[in-house]
Amino acid sequence: MNRATRTGLVILTLALATVATATAQQAPPPWAQGRPPELATSPLAPHPQPPAPTPAEKIPVDRIKLPPGFKAELWASGINNARAMTWGDRGTLFVSSRVAGNVYAVVDHGGRREVKTILKGLQMPNGVAFKDGTLYVAEVSRITKYEGIEANLDSPPAAKVVIDTLPKDLPHGWKYLAFGPDGKLYFNIGAPCNICLPPETHANIVRINADGSGFEYVARGVRNSVGLAFHPVTRDLYFTNHARDWLGDDVPEDTLHHVVKPGAHFGYPYCHQGDILDPDFGAGRACSEFNPPLLKLGPHVAANGIHFYTGAMFPPQYRHRMFIAQRGSWNRAQKSGFRVVTVEYRPGQPPKHEVFAEGWLQGDQFWGRPVYLQEMKDGSLLISDDYAGAIYRITYGR
Amino acid sequence: MTVPARRFGFVRLGGAVSLATLLAAGAAAMPAVDGDIEAGRRKAGACAACHGRDGHSLIPTVPSLAAQPALYTYYQLIQFQTGRRRSPEMAPFVADLSDQDMQDLSAYYAAQPAVAAPTSEPADPVKMEAGERLVSRYHCNACHLPTLGGQKHIPRLAGQQEEYLRRQLRAFKQQKAADLDGSMTMAAQPLTEEAIEALAHYLARVGPRAGGPGGQR
Repeated sequence: MNRATRTGLVILTLALATVATATAQQAPPPWAQGRPPELATSPLAPHPQPPAPTPAEKIPVDRIKLPPGFKAELWASGINNARAMTWGDRGTLFVSSRVAGNVYAVVDHGGRREVKTILKGLQMPNGVAFKDGTLYVAEVSRITKYEGIEANLDSPPAAKVVIDTLPKDLPHGWKYLAFGPDGKLYFNIGAPCNICLPPETHANIVRINADGSGFEYVARGVRNSVGLAFHPVTRDLYFTNHARDWLGDDVPEDTLHHVVKPGAHFGYPYCHQGDILDPDFGAGRACSEFNPPLLKLGPHVAANGIHFYTGAMFPPQYRHRMFIAQRGSWNRAQKSGFRVVTVEYRPGQPPKHEVFAEGWLQGDQFWGRPVYLQEMKDGSLLISDDYAGAIYRITYGR
Repeated sequence: MTVPARRFGFVRLGGAVSLATLLAAGAAAMPAVDGDIEAGRRKAGACAACHGRDGHSLIPTVPSLAAQPALYTYYQLIQFQTGRRRSPEMAPFVADLSDQDMQDLSAYYAAQPAVAAPTSEPADPVKMEAGERLVSRYHCNACHLPTLGGQKHIPRLAGQQEEYLRRQLRAFKQQKAADLDGSMTMAAQPLTEEAIEALAHYLARVGPRAGGPGGQR
């Protein structure tokens, strides 16, 4: 990033922090922002995160329902608020958390898995990525790296700053982090609200070089994307987006997007799901001004992690299919999501969308929330659950 | 296409859905605390020395547990046991509690009626008015509900011990209080010492009311 851009970003960050301080005294909690007065007594509110993971013996893994031939097992547990997963070079699985503030390492000792808490007290360290022996961790306003960490899990090296000039806003401040095929770090800077006209610095997906230079916007008008992935062949970027709340049970839907032209605008806060103008911000705008989604994924489902399957274990039709974890709704009378879906997309054809794994929601009660996906070397699929604090492994039996 | 009006199922149904149904729907959505009230009553003996009979505290620095949402008490006990909420007073009492013990205790206290904790001085009309205004200004009711009776993992404030409220608000402001998701730490940052004083004064004296949706099992 050149000096002018960096200075500009710092100034905007400071400006926003000042605005936030000036208005904080009157602001409702972020989740209630944008709630119409007639819904002031609505019982809907975000689900509390348990303060501790569910003990292994109380996790009803047999309730996970899969297509014929697939099996789910409890692969690891006791990982408080387990979120994104990334592999180290030597087979360590690094696992992030959000509200727990921890980063974990899961080490496989030939079938017995050990969970180590390697970093503590971080600010919503939701993003983890690994490259050339170094672990990268995205917190709210900074990205840090830990060199040679895999050989030092019991005494992790000191954090080195990659970038620390990102906005400090907590609402939608947590980040998903991934390396692109271009070797750059991709992450989101979410809208600092449910619905608002965000400054230029927010509601987008950006990329930087691994040394923190070259800050660049990849997608704009994105409310909050906490899942992105690159197609294994075309290398195109795909991302999920959480739609705004308090507009109704059935609208707007969370969406899946395909970035064809870097820097394109995807509609927020003017247009949602490609065809609904926002009642407060849509006046005078048209949805045709913005890039439409590739697919609507369902209202309030909380579409999170996205993964292109490249393994050989699952039947051939799953190859290069997208798996998407839906953490599950709160802003909806009847719950939606709490499942993993697959999307098959070949350019020129409409995408095919089907449920792959469900059962975390039983009636109106849920016991877990699938949030991110990662593939094992043998082609089995790991699913993290930030509510039960667990990781499941999905296999296909031959 | 534009959205003509907000469309929530239960809003659209209007008069066809009673408030009771809505509250029941809220309660059913709760992560379950599967405690036995009678078992909790038997296990609560040691708690009474400080938290009072049936959870009605008579000690200014000790909170009343009666009519606290079961999930709130359960999550606090877990946090005491795992060391996330630090208290030398509580530590020996939670060390050997099983998960079932914690659920039973939480269910028992949630089932006790709310009674206002005793206050050391009469209501000050100036502080009462300021407190009421601050509750509205800082949107305390968005999570603690308009009754201030709490819900889910969020505590009842109405009728709580004044000194306990004061100390907790200060601790949240200093970013030292145990906080599940950071909401309360964030909410307490703009509070001045005068605001904390008025809020504690008002909340301790506002009529204690039963918990809202999901506040009671």
